[in-house]
Amino acid sequence: MTEGTDVTTATERDPVAGTEPRPTARDRLRSSFDRAGHLLAVLAGLVFWGWLLTRWLYDWVLARVGIGPGAGEAFLSPAPLEALAASLSSAAGSFGPLGVPVGWLASAADAAALGVDIGPALATGAWYTIVLTLSSLTLGFCIAVPLAILRVYGGPMRWLALAYTELIRGTPLLAQLFVLYYGLPLSAWLNDFSVVGRGFVPGYAFWIAILGFTINGSAYQAEYIRGALETVDEGQLTAARALGLSKFEGIRHVVLPQTLRYAIPAWTNELVYLIKYSSLAGFITVPELYYRANDIASSTLEYTSIFGLLAIVYLGLVLSATNVMGCVERRVAVPGLGGAEGRQQEPNE
Amino acid sequence: MTVPRTNDGDGRTADEQRGDGDERTASPSSATAATDPLLRIENLHKSYGAEEVLRGVSLEIDRGDVEVLVGPSGSGKSTLLQCLNRLTEIDSGHIYLGDTEVTASETDPNEIRQQIGMVFQDINLFAHLTARKNITLGLRKVRGMSAEAARERADSELDRVGLADQADSYPAQLSGGQKQRVGIARALAMDPEVMLFDEPTSALDPELSNEVLAVMDELVDEGMTMVVVTHEMRFARGAASGITFLADGQIVERGPPDRLFENPSHERTAQFFENISHDHD
Repeated sequence: MTEGTDVTTATERDPVAGTEPRPTARDRLRSSFDRAGHLLAVLAGLVFWGWLLTRWLYDWVLARVGIGPGAGEAFLSPAPLEALAASLSSAAGSFGPLGVPVGWLASAADAAALGVDIGPALATGAWYTIVLTLSSLTLGFCIAVPLAILRVYGGPMRWLALAYTELIRGTPLLAQLFVLYYGLPLSAWLNDFSVVGRGFVPGYAFWIAILGFTINGSAYQAEYIRGALETVDEGQLTAARALGLSKFEGIRHVVLPQTLRYAIPAWTNELVYLIKYSSLAGFITVPELYYRANDIASSTLEYTSIFGLLAIVYLGLVLSATNVMGCVERRVAVPGLGGAEGRQQEPNE
Repeated sequence: MTVPRTNDGDGRTADEQRGDGDERTASPSSATAATDPLLRIENLHKSYGAEEVLRGVSLEIDRGDVEVLVGPSGSGKSTLLQCLNRLTEIDSGHIYLGDTEVTASETDPNEIRQQIGMVFQDINLFAHLTARKNITLGLRKVRGMSAEAARERADSELDRVGLADQADSYPAQLSGGQKQRVGIARALAMDPEVMLFDEPTSALDPELSNEVLAVMDELVDEGMTMVVVTHEMRFARGAASGITFLADGQIVERGPPDRLFENPSHERTAQFFENISHDHD
């Protein structure tokens, strides 16, 4: 860089530096809150995933060779927490009106004890939920992309894509699962594979659930991708074809890379939905998260506390998913192509 | 006609490229091409629904010529350009590039489009790719060049349009004029025989238009065959070997710029130039 340009940039920078207000105590407080919040979120994430991973690894490996309490058994005993809850609630009675917060503490200790007790079951259920969600989403995506392309560029063939999408979106997911599970002879066919339901391989209900979610999700994803395809300017494909790329190559190398970037926010939405929709697999006996919780609750009748804990696990999964997708979005971001860049400045900046 | 392709990673000078062209016309296989026009359009018809946009257009353009198409909006200029590389399919008529019939059903349009570069009014740079990758995409996927050769070629084309320092910028980070110069470089990198310009400066501020026109002037000097739809009468006057005035899908008048500007034989032409000069003053 020459001296001349140095001088101009310096003079350009000067007035800005002069007018920029010094950070006030409020700003500093706010940014330290932000940092603390961020740290807390990271910590919570580490605890959540640390717990899940430890649980899975233990159940798969150590429990099988007879180390520790055994597969599906809690590492810690809930007894001390239960004792604490009991003594707190009896103490709360003797404090009169002041005993109310103590009563809350007692409930919290009770919930913690319950958490320790049903944690292993929830962790196993979470494994099914995660595998179900991720594999259905990925497989659904593989169907959705050609479906959306057919819908937008397919000429007369687009009616096929439209019919598929509308049929799938227009009927309840639970009904689709029931048709696949009870209506079709899929279970007999799947059971012919000797590996299904043995060892690590889940039973046929699980595979039928993946099929159902894949079909259902593909229709929704196709709609998201279609919307994003239509966002990409027509001239992009024209320019690609003018260079000598075929229509297919133009879509593959020019239109799709832009489309998928536009589609990430909607796709995140589908992922979040699917994490929770996957609970419908419980209705066809897949032992996923909701199924486990419901199973325990119906025998202990502690619905409120168990579903409260269940909600925490779902929340952990959903927040992790949105964070990961946020990272992906930032990772593949291109200047000028979608994103929230430049739209979140303070109004007086 | 297929162009003998060399690996162009070395960034040949314009003179060398012209040399290639001369060899080609002198080669025995196309000995007649020296006298034949490079681009021949015969009795072209095109309708969109009930509206006939081109009504029997015939035009011959020699190698090295710069033909400027002018005319009121809706006269069919842009459609004519899009028919030349079959981005729009015609209803009837013939188009020949050298001795290849562009419009023949057995002609692969993707093959033809490699030999006809196109620059758009809306520029249409690939929004997700850097300036360099906008150029390498065609070289890699269509010409099958290695990544290294394509990159070198792209950089030399960017240098040619004065944007060597913007190779890693995304379209959104470039000015309109810079974008259009990348658009020209992207088309040039494919070694086209003809360059089509569809109102290349219409979307740009006058200031930015000039940097694009400067690049086009250089191409004219290098002897590139060009068909240009534009309202830039200064460019037409200075660079065109012929001006074709179209109205209502037909060629009203064609001739060298001096005659058409100074002494048009049709009232319609005179009126058009009159209106244009008022608009631009």
